[in-house]
Amino acid sequence: MTDAPRPIADAVRQRLARRHRAEGRFRMFGVGAIVLAIAFLAVLIGSIIAQSTGAFTTYTLTLPITIEREVADPRGDMSEASLRRGSYNQLIQRALQAELPAASSRTELRDLFSLYSGLNAAPVMRRVVADPSLIGQEISVSMPVNHEIDLYLKGITVREDRQPGEGAITMDADGDEVRLTGEMPVFARFVSRIRAQAEDERQEALSRAARAQAQAGMAESRDAREAALAAERRAFADAERFETIIDPETSILLGARTASLLIGVNGGVISVSAVSPDGRTAQGSVLLPLESDAASSDWTEWVIETPPAARRVGDLQAIYARTLEERGLIDQRFNTRLFLNADSREPELAGVMGAFIGSILTMLVTMLLAVPIGVGTAIYLEEFAPKTRLTGFIEVNINNLAAVPSIVFGLLGLAVFINAFGLPRSAPLVGGMVLALMTLPTVIISSRAALRAVPPSIREAALGVGASKTQAVFQHVLPLAMPGILTGSIIGLAQALGETAPLLMIGMVAFVADAPSLGLAGLTQPSTVMPVQVFLWSGASERAFEMRTAAAILVLLTLMILFNAVAIYLRRRFERRW
Amino acid sequence: MQLSLFTALALLVLTATGFLAGRTRALAIGAREEGRLHSLPNYHGYFVALWTGLPAFALLALYAVTGTMVVNTLALGELSRASEPLQQRYEAILATDEDHRAATASVERLEAEIRMLRAEADAIIASEGPHSEALAPLRARQEERLFDQDDARFVITSREAAIAGIVLEAADADVADARARAGFEYRRLPPEQRELFVADARALAFADTLASRDTPELRAAAEAFVPRQQALAWGVSLAALALAAGGLAFGRSRVTRQFRARNRVEWMVSAALMLASAIAILTTLGIVLSLLFESLRFFASIDWRVQDFLFGTQWSPQTAIRPGQIGQSGSFGAVPLFAGTGLIMLIAMLVAAPVGLFAAIYLSEYADSRFRAWAKPVLEILAGVPTVVYGFFALLTVGPLLRDFALFLGYEDAVTQSALAAGLVMGVMIIPFVSSLSDDVINAVPQSLRDGAYAMGATKSETIRHVVFPAALPGIVGALLLAISRAIGETMIVVMAAGQAANLTANPLESVTTITVQIVMLLTGDQEFNSPKTLSAFALGLVLFVLTLILNIIALRVVQRYREKYD
Repeated sequence: MTDAPRPIADAVRQRLARRHRAEGRFRMFGVGAIVLAIAFLAVLIGSIIAQSTGAFTTYTLTLPITIEREVADPRGDMSEASLRRGSYNQLIQRALQAELPAASSRTELRDLFSLYSGLNAAPVMRRVVADPSLIGQEISVSMPVNHEIDLYLKGITVREDRQPGEGAITMDADGDEVRLTGEMPVFARFVSRIRAQAEDERQEALSRAARAQAQAGMAESRDAREAALAAERRAFADAERFETIIDPETSILLGARTASLLIGVNGGVISVSAVSPDGRTAQGSVLLPLESDAASSDWTEWVIETPPAARRVGDLQAIYARTLEERGLIDQRFNTRLFLNADSREPELAGVMGAFIGSILTMLVTMLLAVPIGVGTAIYLEEFAPKTRLTGFIEVNINNLAAVPSIVFGLLGLAVFINAFGLPRSAPLVGGMVLALMTLPTVIISSRAALRAVPPSIREAALGVGASKTQAVFQHVLPLAMPGILTGSIIGLAQALGETAPLLMIGMVAFVADAPSLGLAGLTQPSTVMPVQVFLWSGASERAFEMRTAAAILVLLTLMILFNAVAIYLRRRFERRW
Repeated sequence: MQLSLFTALALLVLTATGFLAGRTRALAIGAREEGRLHSLPNYHGYFVALWTGLPAFALLALYAVTGTMVVNTLALGELSRASEPLQQRYEAILATDEDHRAATASVERLEAEIRMLRAEADAIIASEGPHSEALAPLRARQEERLFDQDDARFVITSREAAIAGIVLEAADADVADARARAGFEYRRLPPEQRELFVADARALAFADTLASRDTPELRAAAEAFVPRQQALAWGVSLAALALAAGGLAFGRSRVTRQFRARNRVEWMVSAALMLASAIAILTTLGIVLSLLFESLRFFASIDWRVQDFLFGTQWSPQTAIRPGQIGQSGSFGAVPLFAGTGLIMLIAMLVAAPVGLFAAIYLSEYADSRFRAWAKPVLEILAGVPTVVYGFFALLTVGPLLRDFALFLGYEDAVTQSALAAGLVMGVMIIPFVSSLSDDVINAVPQSLRDGAYAMGATKSETIRHVVFPAALPGIVGALLLAISRAIGETMIVVMAAGQAANLTANPLESVTTITVQIVMLLTGDQEFNSPKTLSAFALGLVLFVLTLILNIIALRVVQRYREKYD
């Protein structure tokens, strides 16, 4: 073939290059698909880990509390009933007030007491009831601060900046009002900052106005036009407001929609309400009393950039929290409550323990039902059943059951277990039964595969020395198939552990503030499971639940990884190739 | 509870004793008599143990299932007997009450009128179709009758309550018998409150849970529960123990040298195995029957207008339907749900099919075994992540990202919960299903086909595109069908990320709802069980089941055929 016509060879050579390029492209698509899938996984896990970081620590308020007899023991007979009626929250409030005696007015006290949730009184009560000798003594009580304060202290929801002020300032007090004067333009930095911020806001408002105008022009109905025009007017009004801040002639008024400026000086805090345009003087009111009115060059410029309207922590709350933090009464600790508490309406007190116990109970029921029944079915179908229509039907049946949506099993549980049999709603018993039915096909299919992998020579040898069929199966085939069966069962259980939808149907979405007891009685108590807890928290409106949801997901994923690791270990350790 | 636990423990001990008794007896016989035992001593032990444990545990299980019901029936019967005099007095006064009689008569009269109006309406619908204008006045008249009927019913219930009050007051005066009053109160309660009454009485009686209220009547009822419960518990425990002892004695007496204990025990074992495999069938049967049964009730409650359910375009199940209303239709039209399910499934498959297929092709045709060994498990992690985690990811990361992106592109009505967010994330979840199923299928294509193509000078990708892929196509279609069925039945991602509004739209940036989302919405939270609203969830479940079943059967068929072709 050496004398083949040149043109064809050339054409082939040319096409070959193109074909090789196509080959490379095709290969790239393959690599791209795998990279894409793995990138998805990485983003998924990464984003959840990133979201969860704030949940593992919590700011904790530690107070010395004196258990005063007349408050803790209203009837005065030291009986348990009387101790349980004591107002322990009042004791915490008194201790807190003792730390910050400056808080005296109603609003000040409200802000002070909002640093923690009243639910924290319950553990104090339990401590006193358990040990009445504590009455009259001083005990140290730790409690997590309110979740909004926690997020603020972690710097997640509020942008703030605390810097030592430069230059001395003098204060002229006039009642609560204070006039601050610097020896130089001490507030200039703040002024330029807030002006830059206002400029951004103004641009944003103007572009909003322009968009609204365009919308009004295109509006199809009169209502839509009116709405767009109203939006435009609002946007213009906003822009105008920001213009007054930018204007270099007028003094800057601080309000709900601008950053806050707090001045910490002489052990007190002044909230600034107006700053002169040159940044030399400011007008403010005292939020935390000053020790003296003397001029000072040791002061803190404390800017809370997030405007009050956009945050849920007031200036006063922020001051109290920071003051207590400086005194070492509030500090950041590992969040043990996340792991040891059951669910709560207050994010700072909520934990996964209740759901964890619920999951354990549910999984126990699932395991006790699905594994014996599944393995029994597999043995019957693989070793005993004659190949008839009926067994063929059972096989098709099992394959189909494996692909039935899990929510349908939930409907079955609701209709049969709860409505027909009258079993309790929300109970791990019913949840476990439903999940067992769901897991059954997985267990059966993997057990059959494991049994099939045992070579027939084993059976024949056993039968050959006179064993009965049952003896051959149970004493020879089953032990050899056990690793495979266990692996399949564990993978099935891991699946059940992560399942949510069927459990929603049988009422395991209830809010359960007490963990069910770990025992027979717990099987019929209302409870929830880990994935459902994730679902419940993800629907909560508090921002603090968001990170707790991510943390709960991590706990759930760790559990599942553990399950799968055990399965992989078993497979590696005991697997036999024939 | 304590007692039955104790009994169960005792039975366990007895069963173990039975095993030992059977075994030692067999050993003794073997040592004493000539010749060999037919079965090994252990089998004799198992045989006796089975006789000891099985009947007794069966009795205990029966008690666990029905015990509460039996006690309730007995105790309530007692209460009902005690309340007989009160009931008679009540009925006597009721019979002579003029208002009550008039109201009952008017309810019946109105009922007849409504029935006539419905017949008329049906005739009009039959002749002129459901949109005839002649229906409007009929509807108005019917509405009027229904209101009148409600009024009359209200009169009846308030009269009954008043008379019951009189009777109870009189009872307070002469017989201070709380038990009679409890029985009377129970009889007058509607069925759903009866359950609560029983639950409260039991809670007071056994102090295992907290009662929602505490009245002298409930206390009296509780007193009726306690002795019966105790008697039954003791009776059952003693009977179970006696049964076990009897079984032990009987089993032991059967043990002889020729006794075929092994065959008996093996027969029991295979019976148990058969029972286990029956459960798989029972599950399917249970699913089909419960869905069918509840769906039929749903269809009955919407007057068998199945076509309105399947083809109606208006889904608002929250609207209460009054019984017997004419032409009140359209609120259970499931088309928006089917459309939403389809839209999300489509988006998911647009992600999963190409990515999954290419991943499978690369893994099976290009990758070396080392890369395969770690890439495959990593891909499978995607399938192992709980769906609720995907839902959280879609809701808090993907949804806002897509919304901001849409806003950036100038689409003003972008929302966080959109079909696109749910579909994309679901697609990611399904990738491993497509890839591992297709991987199996591609691997099953015989090497000889590839070798043939290579021999013709084809490149690897040409071989794959023109030889391997067509050969594997049926299997791949099967894999895709299974993935579709998975996407349709997926619940948590859509519940969290797709929204609840039943929009009939093809715009992936709007929020849509799916079959599974609506099932969850209808069945979580407070629900009255027999309302069409709740029952419609089962009809949706039936549609879902049938849909996925058809897909699965086709897919399994296709894959199986395909396997047979190359095996």
